[in-house]
Amino acid sequence: MLATYLQVLVSGLAIGGVYALIALSFSITFTTTKTLNFAQGEFIGVGAFLGVTVLYLVSGEGSFAALAPAAAGGARYPLAAAVVGAVLGALGILLFLAAIRPFAGKPGMSWVMSTIGFGIILQSLGLAVWGPAPVNMPSPFGDDVMRLAGAGVRPQEILVLAVAVVLMAALDLLMRRTRLGKAMRAVAHNPQVAALMGINVAAVMLGAFALSSALAGVGGLLVAPIASASLFMGMGIALKAFSGAIMGGLDNPRGCIFGGFALGLLEAGVALWEAQWREIVIFLLIILVLAIRPNGLFGARALDKV
Amino acid sequence: MLQLDAVHIAYGPIQAVADATIAVEPGQIVAIVGANGAGKSTLLKAIAGLVPLAAGGIRFEGRDIAALPAHRRVAAGIALSPEGRQVFPDQTVRDNLELGAYSRRLGQADLARAMAAQYELFPRLRERQDQPAVTLSGGEQQMLAIARALMGEPRLLLLDEPSLGLAPLIIREIFGIITALRARGVTVLLVEQMANLALGVADRAYVLETGRVTLEGSGAELLQHPRVRAAYLGGGH
Repeated sequence: MLATYLQVLVSGLAIGGVYALIALSFSITFTTTKTLNFAQGEFIGVGAFLGVTVLYLVSGEGSFAALAPAAAGGARYPLAAAVVGAVLGALGILLFLAAIRPFAGKPGMSWVMSTIGFGIILQSLGLAVWGPAPVNMPSPFGDDVMRLAGAGVRPQEILVLAVAVVLMAALDLLMRRTRLGKAMRAVAHNPQVAALMGINVAAVMLGAFALSSALAGVGGLLVAPIASASLFMGMGIALKAFSGAIMGGLDNPRGCIFGGFALGLLEAGVALWEAQWREIVIFLLIILVLAIRPNGLFGARALDKV
Repeated sequence: MLQLDAVHIAYGPIQAVADATIAVEPGQIVAIVGANGAGKSTLLKAIAGLVPLAAGGIRFEGRDIAALPAHRRVAAGIALSPEGRQVFPDQTVRDNLELGAYSRRLGQADLARAMAAQYELFPRLRERQDQPAVTLSGGEQQMLAIARALMGEPRLLLLDEPSLGLAPLIIREIFGIITALRARGVTVLLVEQMANLALGVADRAYVLETGRVTLEGSGAELLQHPRVRAAYLGGGH
């Protein structure tokens, strides 16, 4: 019984780590630009496929659709992560210039539609390049289930959790300790006043979208070995991550991380009990939380000093 | 030092400032007084680069800065302490000051030196340096807003309503600091609703009414001017 709980804990933390990472990526663009990338799900899927492509090209092991386990070994997986981060970062900049900047600050919510449209275009291009079939991505530490106090744990789950935690800790440090992070927080609070400090607000917003998109891509690369890489895999993840962000408070990065982990653990826990109740319980809970705390658990109080 | 030539500023169809010609000489305190909504803040925002000019010219130290974006005017030597203080509430006093020096790209040692200079001017900020700005009193926040602007080492300091919402004792303290800054060679352009205070320290002053400059002169002259006394100094006092 204990082993089962441990198993739920590990897989809940692993998927929760991905939710938290993507939730954070939503928070990064929301706080700095008050807009969100609704193509984040497609970015996750493209990140995963791009990762598979890099592994395939550099290793030459197996076929594209069925990479040999050795394809992800050595420095190849980190290399794939770096490429995915860079390419998706660039894609994020493109998204900002094409789908956000023309509409930001204007009345209406055109950017919602334009980012969704950007995602659909991206997905269609992905389908044209890679085809609709899901492919397997091997984990860099192999796919053999490890025994941890009786619980079966996959190495990738540990890796996902570790990478997510390291990335989030690094971002937290960046935001609180570095000049750039403080500037980002200043832009998040008030772009006009940030400009008065000499901060190039447009550049910070561009950077926020690059960072957010890079996180989505790396998130896809992390999840792919657990499930399998698919251009459609990102939708569900992005939706859960978004829910986690809303639940924790979209404007509070640490709240978003908490919300992501909470959803992951809850999902794993409910699945243990009755798998088909999973989504129902999760979304009922989110609605309940928002009914009581409309700004999320740790969202900004609508109280400012006058 | 700063020369505004026949400046027009508009928010959409609404004319906020019309045909304003204003000059600021180095080493002076120049005050712009006028009623709420006269366009005083808009003028300062335009000088800082936050709102564009609809017409007219703006020169700073002989250089046309009309096309310079706001974030580059700080490095050019202009800093604005905005109306309502606008400190970054969730960041500490120290971080607020560090942001004020953002465009100078200082190393740790120079940054610490620049902060120490502000703490000397505003000793109360030193005591509060590790507190989030939101926990400061209104007067302390105003001091922080001025100190933050000074961190950019401006040659021209723009102050928008520094007395807003503060107790008389604090206001006196702030105005003492403004005159001390002039003694240190910082040129100050001050926008204030409390005309008596502003004119009392100003070398030169302008009265702005519904977007137009209607009077100008030395601070002392305007303080004695019957129209100013009637409109802004509470009649016969």
